[in-house]
Amino acid sequence: MYKRIFRSVCLTAFAVFIASLALIMGMLYQYFDGQLKEEIRTEANYLAHAVNISGEEYLTELSPGDKRITLIGADGTVLYDSESDPDTMDNHSQRDEVIAARKYGLGESVRYSDTLTEKTVYCAVRLDSGDILRVSDVQASTFTVLLSFAQPIFVVIIAVLILSAFAASRVSAGIVRPLNQMDLDSPSPVLEGYDELSPLFRRIEHQRATIEHQLEDAVKMREEFRMITENMSEGFLVIDRATNLLTYNTSALRLLGVKEGEVGRSVLELNRSEEFRGAIDEALAGGHAQRHMTIGGRTYSLIANPVHEGEEVIGAVIVLLDITEQEQREQLRREFTANVSHELKTPLTSISGFAELMKTGTVPQEDVVDFSARIYDEASRLIALVGDIIKLSELDEGGSFASAAEDVDLRALCEEIRDRLSPAAQARAVTFSVTGEEVRLHTSRKMLEEIIYNLCDNAVKYNRVGGKAEAVISRSEDQKVMLKIRDTGIGIPDEDQQRVFERFYRVDKSHSREIGGTGLGLSIVKHGAAALGIEIRLESREGVGTSVTLTFPPELIV
Amino acid sequence: MRTRFDRQLEQLNVELIRMGALCEEAISIVAKSLLDSDLTYLPHALDLDDQIDDKEREIEALCMKILLQQQPVASDLRVVSSALKMISDMERIGDQARDIAEMLEYVVQYKFESRVHIGDMARASIKMVTDSIDSFVRKDYDAAVAVIASDDVVDTLFQKVKDELTAAVAAQPENGEIFLDLLMIAKYFERIGDHATNIAEWVCYSLTGQHV
Repeated sequence: MYKRIFRSVCLTAFAVFIASLALIMGMLYQYFDGQLKEEIRTEANYLAHAVNISGEEYLTELSPGDKRITLIGADGTVLYDSESDPDTMDNHSQRDEVIAARKYGLGESVRYSDTLTEKTVYCAVRLDSGDILRVSDVQASTFTVLLSFAQPIFVVIIAVLILSAFAASRVSAGIVRPLNQMDLDSPSPVLEGYDELSPLFRRIEHQRATIEHQLEDAVKMREEFRMITENMSEGFLVIDRATNLLTYNTSALRLLGVKEGEVGRSVLELNRSEEFRGAIDEALAGGHAQRHMTIGGRTYSLIANPVHEGEEVIGAVIVLLDITEQEQREQLRREFTANVSHELKTPLTSISGFAELMKTGTVPQEDVVDFSARIYDEASRLIALVGDIIKLSELDEGGSFASAAEDVDLRALCEEIRDRLSPAAQARAVTFSVTGEEVRLHTSRKMLEEIIYNLCDNAVKYNRVGGKAEAVISRSEDQKVMLKIRDTGIGIPDEDQQRVFERFYRVDKSHSREIGGTGLGLSIVKHGAAALGIEIRLESREGVGTSVTLTFPPELIV
Repeated sequence: MRTRFDRQLEQLNVELIRMGALCEEAISIVAKSLLDSDLTYLPHALDLDDQIDDKEREIEALCMKILLQQQPVASDLRVVSSALKMISDMERIGDQARDIAEMLEYVVQYKFESRVHIGDMARASIKMVTDSIDSFVRKDYDAAVAVIASDDVVDTLFQKVKDELTAAVAAQPENGEIFLDLLMIAKYFERIGDHATNIAEWVCYSLTGQHV
């Protein structure tokens, strides 16, 4: 801009200078030209007058001046010339000024020399005698005048150029300065004297606002994206076609067991297991890949999807999910299903076996009674098992047990259970006692009964003959109620204490059939207690006895 | 020009990681087969060796291309030249894994207490291979030095296995062939440890320009 203004101003100044110079020169030349002609004409007139009066001799007596004087006869022959010998000169009758003078009494003409460097101005006057007197003077031509002025003009032009450059530089700097000092960030800048620029300013302001808005949106979107990915517990990775990492969240690093500082360019630097590489290769080849992989004892599900741009795959998105718990649960479920099928099959096999024998009709009458008793026993076992499974699955589904809360007298409940178990206790000569204060609880009676019944049943069943079982209710200092069910039975080995609450887990696999039970009792106790918010603690020593403590939180106590 | 060079170097890095991962996989399959006496996955180990060989040629071609087209200098040159050396060590690891795999079917039925120490050797050499690849991936000088130091563990174990097998041959000359096979397997694991050491040394060289 500065350059452009500078050039324009410079050029304009120079052009104006040249034009005025030419004009002045032209006018001056015109003026001097006219002056010269006038002078010659006056002199010619004077001389003609003098010659008319004094005759031809006047000319010869005249001291030679700077002008050339010629006398031409009526026929054109030169009679006298102040500078040349008239005899050598040719006939002048056809010269323009002579012809004009002959005709009108006065004739003028201008002739240029061959080189054009000079011009001669002629003025001819007809004398009374019919001869013609001509006065002429040589004058430099316009071109020569200009040429003779060339040097000073050149100097002046240089001076003018420098001056105009200086002025132009000042002027353009002055024009540009406000533009440069303008603050484009301030809304709608107005510049005095630059009205033509206001549409541009408005446009800039509009665009600035738009850009700012878009930038804000972009930052917000990025922030949102970051918030979402950072708060995901799933690992999230985006890679390009050359497996370079583009984006990742901290969960991904945590799941892959990589520290923040160790992140390299390629995603393969994070993990290079077969599953990981396979999934990435498959996704980059344009397919959907899902794998399971194990890192440090935890199981992850890896999902890789290609990112397309048009037809081309430009990268992949990888999502990592920790499915360890899910996997464990599934494992448990599988085991449970297998166990259930097995447990259901065993009594059914016996039932079907005895029934098959009896079907033939060859079984003696006394065996029929025995067989029927066995079928009945197995069927009862089956019913008990199915009942327990139903209870457990109800508990698994959130438990309809816990919903119906009512006031329960804990001690009365324990006594009731003791009475129900008394035939079994008497059979094994086990003394069962209930002691402790009376406590009323607000909870699900059905569920609580189930829990206590199972524990007391175990206390009797796994007791030695003639042993002791007791249920003791006590209150702790921090307002918690505790029910301790203790026996003097066979106890549980240390290594099995963790596992007895698992479904179908039996400490003594071989004797489980004679003692009976489904293997689900303690499982129901554990789930039921958890559903009611009761804390459960098991202490046992092999051969000495087992004690299970139920701790009721204060909010259950009425 | 430089961006293309950078891309090629990145590609070299990724390919080396892939080749290292293949080696780890091959030797862990072999070790697992030995420890569990389970030959189900052995064909996969043989297949992996072929893949490792292909990968070596691929990386070699890439290194040559970089050397000829880009004429790298200083650290870039070190990276490329140590890559060339590393892949031959990795390829040897793949070959040795294959050799062990081929012998396994003869020895796998035979229960011998020296298997415990051979198992330890297998675990130690897997760890060395994994750690050396890790040190390359993370450009971790200290980890590489640690791998070089841990070679002694494998060497000591090899000596132990050798002594045990010598005694066993004397006691049961009729099973001599199996003991020799076991000795070979132990030797292969010891060699794998040496190659892992070499890889770690090349990692050190590419990082510092100094041989350890």
